[in-house]
Amino acid sequence: MTVATRAPSVESWVQSFTEANNQDPEIQAHGKYFTCSYLLDMEAHTFVVRVVSGTIAQISVDPGPIEVPYQFAIRASAHTWGEFGKPVPAPMYHGIWAATFQRDMKLEGDVLVLMQNLRCLTRQIELLRSTGAPV
Amino acid sequence: MSKISPVTGHYVTVDVDGLEYKVFYLENGQGQPLVCQHTAGAHNHQWRGLLEDPEITANYRVIAYDLPRHGKSDPPENTEWWTEEYQLSADHFANFIVALVDALELVDPIFMGSSFGGNVALQLAHRFPERFDAVIPVEGADYSPGFYLDWWQHPHANAAQVCGSGTWDLMAPQSPEADRWKTWFYYTQGSEAFKGDLYFYSVDHDLRGKLGEIQTNKCAVVLMTGEYDYLTTPEDGARTASQIPGAEFIEMKAIGHFPMSENYPVFKGYLVQALDLIRTKTTVGA
Repeated sequence: MTVATRAPSVESWVQSFTEANNQDPEIQAHGKYFTCSYLLDMEAHTFVVRVVSGTIAQISVDPGPIEVPYQFAIRASAHTWGEFGKPVPAPMYHGIWAATFQRDMKLEGDVLVLMQNLRCLTRQIELLRSTGAPV
Repeated sequence: MSKISPVTGHYVTVDVDGLEYKVFYLENGQGQPLVCQHTAGAHNHQWRGLLEDPEITANYRVIAYDLPRHGKSDPPENTEWWTEEYQLSADHFANFIVALVDALELVDPIFMGSSFGGNVALQLAHRFPERFDAVIPVEGADYSPGFYLDWWQHPHANAAQVCGSGTWDLMAPQSPEADRWKTWFYYTQGSEAFKGDLYFYSVDHDLRGKLGEIQTNKCAVVLMTGEYDYLTTPEDGARTASQIPGAEFIEMKAIGHFPMSENYPVFKGYLVQALDLIRTKTTVGA
């Protein structure tokens, strides 16, 4: 997998993130029950990621108001997501817990669903280190 | 040819605060006792690299125990512990460690612990400075609120995975993946104790305003904190050290909250610095 050197376009990121997830050995080995929908709020863009049994079934780009439902949201500034998208993130940008405790990330909505899927979700977010973040 | 480790395991009975524990510990080496406490919700395998390090064990008797309710150390033998919620207190944690040191008949030990072990190291220096030659609080601070969470034991989530992956970000991305996954694996085994441990870590442990009372002429203090630790940050460690007269602080680069377990070779470089500082201080002070 190539390393992103600048922010990918939204279209190419949707494709590369989906492929990275659907081909990831860890998620495919442990994702049998990884089924949920969540909002990635990256300030410049929002995405609703719908996962079914470990496979990304759909990523909705910049959905309109109440257009696409989701169970929980991960919100942060474009700057923070940009740091997440580096191959080796700086301290406090290396995970959703770190950035929530020490930076501007917010975990909102039905956080129980996030916790129920935490193992695979953690890996899924780390895929940004190889795809880059589209902001 | 067989590959048998020089590390050996033993059980010792410890009586403290009216409770009887059968405590499991691993040890290797000869010299000054170096007593090692694992992090909350984990067990003594976090110290596997140190226990098998021939350079350290040439001069130190490394003892890494499982705190009761962790690893191979059972809950108390003489109570119906299953009828009560486990909440570790600062009093009991500190008293237990002194009782263990007594049970093992250790003389002038150095105590080293990480995370809640780092916090209890500060408690020991504050309460029992005459019992320890030095303490090395790793990822410790005067106060560390925010981690006493219900998620660690929520019946509607997979507690093992929440504990393992909920602590994953405490490690640095530079640490070897295999060692991070071992640390994750330990965390999947300790969910029933983790939350109760964190009662001490985030609630009962509070040395704010008391750090100036620590007498480093009796018990040297060297704090070490990793730059990827989002719970007890390097700023927290530096602040804590600055309020203890005579204490030293070492910031560890490219490592996180479980340094001895996530990347022992990097941790070792800093540990050698800490042990050298302690040797210099205690020699000068003697």
